[in-house]
Amino acid sequence: MQLRADAARLRRRLIAASCALLTTSAARSEEAANPGVAGALTDWLLESALAYYHEDGRIQAIEPVVNVSKNYGDGGTLGLNLTFDSLSGSSPNGALPSRSPQTFASPSGKSLILSKHTYTTAPGDLPVDPHYHDQRFALGVDWTLPLTRLTRASFGGKLSYEDDFLSSSLSASIAHDFNEKNTTVLFGINDENDSLHPIGGAPVPLSDYELFEKTDHKSKNGTGLLLSVTQIMTRTWLAEFNVSLDRFSGYLNDPYKIISVIDASGNDVGYVYENRPDTRTRRSAYLENRVGWERASAALSLRYMTDTWGVHSDTVQLHLRWWNTERNKYLEPTVRWYRQTAADFYTPWIGDSVSPNEAYASADSRLGGFHALTYGVKYGIKLDDKLNREAAEINIRVEYYEQTVDHGLPGAGALQGLDLYPRLNAVLLQIGFDY
Amino acid sequence: MQLRRRWVFMIITGAALASGCTSVGVRPWQRDVLSRQDMQLNGNSIDDAIDDHLYFSKEASSGGRSFAGGGCGCN
Repeated sequence: MQLRADAARLRRRLIAASCALLTTSAARSEEAANPGVAGALTDWLLESALAYYHEDGRIQAIEPVVNVSKNYGDGGTLGLNLTFDSLSGSSPNGALPSRSPQTFASPSGKSLILSKHTYTTAPGDLPVDPHYHDQRFALGVDWTLPLTRLTRASFGGKLSYEDDFLSSSLSASIAHDFNEKNTTVLFGINDENDSLHPIGGAPVPLSDYELFEKTDHKSKNGTGLLLSVTQIMTRTWLAEFNVSLDRFSGYLNDPYKIISVIDASGNDVGYVYENRPDTRTRRSAYLENRVGWERASAALSLRYMTDTWGVHSDTVQLHLRWWNTERNKYLEPTVRWYRQTAADFYTPWIGDSVSPNEAYASADSRLGGFHALTYGVKYGIKLDDKLNREAAEINIRVEYYEQTVDHGLPGAGALQGLDLYPRLNAVLLQIGFDY
Repeated sequence: MQLRRRWVFMIITGAALASGCTSVGVRPWQRDVLSRQDMQLNGNSIDDAIDDHLYFSKEASSGGRSFAGGGCGCN
């Protein structure tokens, strides 16, 4: 009797175990047949952001960006980038503030009298074109494929379109790992071709603003070389050192920038269009170090750049990131310091007694000497447990940018007391989502 | 004699540098921290692209981390 009862218990347990195994197998089969969205997109990464940029009293921009990439597991990747910019507001035209009202025509104008879109700047104010509006669509593709276990090749293409500007570029690079993949050397080349169709035409350099001497479309071309060495220093320290060289030639003027012509008393007597050299060669050296701790990391980058226009610049940027104990939220403050010297031909104004023929001149403040500070903070929340994706994250970023002119040439006569070099303040607000 | 000293100095310096280079780096199983997303050189590609575009449109410098071209008519 006892043996019969034990045999019955054993049979029931075997049946229960068999059912459990069958149920598990069926569930796994169903999962394999229908892995769900997260499972199907295991090798894909989506990064997206919506940025809003606002300058104090000048332009504002909205910029949505989407990056989609696929990792093929063998070291190969395919990436697609889509960017859209919409800019509007007031853009400085290069002229100086004045004691009297100044009237300008928008770029599409043919005459200061007949133009539909003229604007008048009040005495003491920086002349800005209040009708500035532009939109940009950009599409980029990057493809990396392994050539050997230690060598990879990458190819990229980018197309960017605006109403008055079309840019296309192609790039290629090859990277090789050494020293048990602790050292990577990369060499890359980039070729960019830009076509400019300025609204109203491309002005004749140094021509009188009121004569509206303009020509047809222009172009510029650039080639860039990049040599990069990445070195793993320790278990928590990674360093990258880049040197780059690029040369642009063609129409390098900003077709919308003018220069005030000032007499000996400091009064404006007219304007001329700017004239920049038609070639520019830039060299830069870039060093980045990343250090990681258990719940923090830091990235410090240094850049030195110099070019044949006489601009020298230094950039220092620091990112710090702190994770919470659960490692599902982080805070990332950022600070960036930048300084540049003025281009050799930068001049805030031209004297009326100076003949500007065959000289280079630009009053574009971006070619002047200044320093800039950026302060920012980013806050991110990982959503990996909610969305079952390791990369899933939502984040918000705020940055404040401040640009201050260094050693601005003091104005004489009527220019005294005017704010010739107003500070630029801007705020960037960005919301991002990764999946 | 002067030439020999120079050679000795160069060999010692080269050996010191070489020994320094071989001491850096990690074994494959020591890459736990380096594999984290916040330790990737292009780990914030969208932030970098937006910042680069902002700085390209406001300053005379660009590139360094990558190629210097902008693909933008803003500067």
